[in-house]
Amino acid sequence: MRVSLFVTCLGDRFFAEAAADAVRLLRSLNVEVDFPENQTCCGQPAWNSGHVPQAREMAAHTAEVFADADYVVLPSGSCAAMLRHAYPRLLESPAVAERSYELGEFLVDVLEVTELGRGLEGRRLAYHHGCHALRELGVEEQPLRLLESAGATVVPWEMDQECCGFGGLFSVKAPEVSVAMADRKLDTLPDVQTVVSADGGCLLHMDGRARRRGKRVRFQSLASALWEARNGGA
Amino acid sequence: MEVHSRDYRARARRIITETPEVREAVNNATRTFVDHRREAFADCDENALSGWAEGVKSHALTHLADYLEEAEARLVERGAHVHWAETASDVHQIFEGIVREHGVRRVVKAKSMLSEELGLNPFLESCGAEVFETDLGEYIIQLLGESPSHIVGPAIHKSLDDTRVIFHERLGTPRDASPETLAKAARGLLREAFLTAELGVSGGNFLVAETGSIALIENEGNIRLSTSVPRIHVALVGIEKVLPKWADLSTFLQVTAKSATGQPVGCFVSIIQGPGGSTGGEPDGPEELHVVLVDNGRTRVLADPEVWEALRCVRCGACLNICPVYRQTGGHAYGYVYSGPIGAVLGPGLVGLEEMLPLPFASSACGACAEVCPVRIPIPDLLHVWRQRAVERGLTSDVERSVLGLLTAAATRSRVFGWAGKMAGFFPEWIVRRLPLLQEWSIGRETPRADGPTFRELWDEGIE
Amino acid sequence: MKRPEQTVRPSVNSGTRASSEPKHERGQRVSRDARERILNRVRAANRDREPVSHPGPLPEAAEPPGPFGEAGRADPVGSFESCLRAAGGEVVRLANEEAARRWLEEFAGGFESASVCTGVPDALHPALPGVPPSEAALGVSLAVGAAAQTGSLLLSSKEGRRSQLLPPVHLVWVRAEDVRTTLGEALQACREDLPATLALHSGPSKSADIGQILVTGVHGPGRIIAAILGAGGVRS
Repeated sequence: MRVSLFVTCLGDRFFAEAAADAVRLLRSLNVEVDFPENQTCCGQPAWNSGHVPQAREMAAHTAEVFADADYVVLPSGSCAAMLRHAYPRLLESPAVAERSYELGEFLVDVLEVTELGRGLEGRRLAYHHGCHALRELGVEEQPLRLLESAGATVVPWEMDQECCGFGGLFSVKAPEVSVAMADRKLDTLPDVQTVVSADGGCLLHMDGRARRRGKRVRFQSLASALWEARNGGA
Repeated sequence: MEVHSRDYRARARRIITETPEVREAVNNATRTFVDHRREAFADCDENALSGWAEGVKSHALTHLADYLEEAEARLVERGAHVHWAETASDVHQIFEGIVREHGVRRVVKAKSMLSEELGLNPFLESCGAEVFETDLGEYIIQLLGESPSHIVGPAIHKSLDDTRVIFHERLGTPRDASPETLAKAARGLLREAFLTAELGVSGGNFLVAETGSIALIENEGNIRLSTSVPRIHVALVGIEKVLPKWADLSTFLQVTAKSATGQPVGCFVSIIQGPGGSTGGEPDGPEELHVVLVDNGRTRVLADPEVWEALRCVRCGACLNICPVYRQTGGHAYGYVYSGPIGAVLGPGLVGLEEMLPLPFASSACGACAEVCPVRIPIPDLLHVWRQRAVERGLTSDVERSVLGLLTAAATRSRVFGWAGKMAGFFPEWIVRRLPLLQEWSIGRETPRADGPTFRELWDEGIE
Repeated sequence: MKRPEQTVRPSVNSGTRASSEPKHERGQRVSRDARERILNRVRAANRDREPVSHPGPLPEAAEPPGPFGEAGRADPVGSFESCLRAAGGEVVRLANEEAARRWLEEFAGGFESASVCTGVPDALHPALPGVPPSEAALGVSLAVGAAAQTGSLLLSSKEGRRSQLLPPVHLVWVRAEDVRTTLGEALQACREDLPATLALHSGPSKSADIGQILVTGVHGPGRIIAAILGAGGVRS
């Protein structure tokens, strides 16, 4: 089986190592991974803020880049949702839409893998459900299963499904409210050392707020957590 | 009614930084509503209920003219006066006529968001009438000179102590009075108002076309009293409140109550078909019933092919309660009678997009609202429609347009894009802090770390 | 069309229709014009739109089950009781009129006065001085129906409303055979011959508007007692 990795704009710059972990993880499951080099941005920042022509341009570019892919795997729930839900509204029958998956979703729903290893034995972590992955893709159980089967305790967190306040450009258009929402997440966080999520924007936003407040919590990409699950504590 | 939505960001900032107790109060109240709503629907087939309710409301709206005429005919048959009003000014004229003709000096009002929309209270006062808000939450904010902060609970942003203070000042209750004492004081004063007012004003939750019935849901009993004791009752009903059949009513009463507060139904429901008293051949009740069917922008929304579905709204407030953005500030940040998610999609339609900006952007588009709407209004889609229109009409900032223009240009030129990603790692943080739009990130957050290779570089080197 | 009457007030300006028309007449004219324009706009708005059909009655399986639980739909009186009590109301079941009279005598002992709605049979009147509703300690009604699904008593304005609302305690007689399972059924039973106001009372008056703390008896009665007649003699 061969998949094409869509690393995403945030992934390329801020989560390079995590994306490399995604590659390692897939390869360890006997999946061939290629990286179409002309990929850029899925267009979500433009789409979400109502700039549709620009979103369409970026979508067209992306659809072309991945035109020959059997599967497109993204270490980002919101970008995967963009491809699956928005591309059909922006483009004529984009083949890429149906073939795109968030990483955790891909492992469980397509590869039918639910046990990666025991590399997270003894780890206590909290999981943040990004809104797009949760509500647009319906990805809820998959990441939890993968983490728990690897030995992690996913500690109950009453606000785990509440929006963190990133919201793309919302984070800079209504920054005070955006930060207040991050505070709501951080103030209700159970006693854990790590928060795992499948969305880069959410991680950057909550991590940025936590560091400003001097709150010592590590924010980890799901891709890295799952590679750790497979590979043992690295 | 003035709209202050343009000040959303400043108002939100003020509430968050200067009155954190408001944020706490709103958070507690909305969390309670959310929990109760979830319990109320736990043993229900929520999907079946919302699908059915959506169908009934959409049917009513797509056949609205016929149903409005039917409702009017039934009401007139029973001796009610039916008025039609396009604007707030029309409504004012109708009230002026009633006030002058009957020498109204005192008005008791049941909670009506529509009456807020229409600026009714100041107008009645200008006619020389004394107006008493009788819903306890509305009464509290009337004493405080504030506007409602939430569709269902107008005073959720106020604490017990806030109420103690104002009641002590105005009603002479002890400074540390218990909630029971405060309620009793309000009850006594408002009871006097019920018994002496010539006019009672209410809104209308539903208008059943088949029988000409106005249905009103409440917990306190002030609506029952306002619509039963005074000689004249005027009901303000938005034209979108129509339900086609008598048989539709029971489910809508239950679904609205569950969505709003988690109750099986409100403690009191008034289903009004006509006047009482000697006009209606009954021992008591109003001699005159006036129903004012109000447009005030609703036909404009109905004509909008992308937004009309927002008119299905039953004003339950469930979307406000679940909204993580609303929860940080309460309703006053929005500067409009309808706040939260529904305010952001209905407001631009009723009032105009320019006046209501930036409300469609005052949302992280998380989608939680759509999951709790009992009539399946696709709020996130409607937010997106308004955002798209804002961009098309040139109402968004130049900076934003430039930033996205640059992003698009880079994103369609992969070499440039890859290079830009790499360069971003070299920009010292202090430059990033100075870029317009991006600099807002620094409000409350550290800049993301961008040192180290990009993924592209890692790939090129070979990933082991 | 009726000609506007001359007003008593002298007209100040040149006697245009607007200034000589009495305000309430002007209001009616505004309303008539508004009616045409509103209905026209509504029709125009829907002209090119795909009409949506009414989905029909709510499927029975989708009815909110409410309190049915163990009591089930087969025992509407039991379900009604549990639902009304859960909302803070009181319920007493009385096997027959004799039991009702005995219970009433004891119950009424706690009150100084009463206001009884018209239509309540003499046998169900408490032996208390009758006073106006605004002064009475107890109001007494006869429900025209009840719904188990929501714990609701259906009250008609034909019996007079003030006694249902002004006294702080409200006693409502209801016949066991008038207790229906769903709210829809209870409302349907009243469909013909609707009074000016059909009211549902489903619990004591309450509010959480003061700092989110629950208080009862805010405007309407703070106590509501449903006395069910012919209900198998189980006294609560």
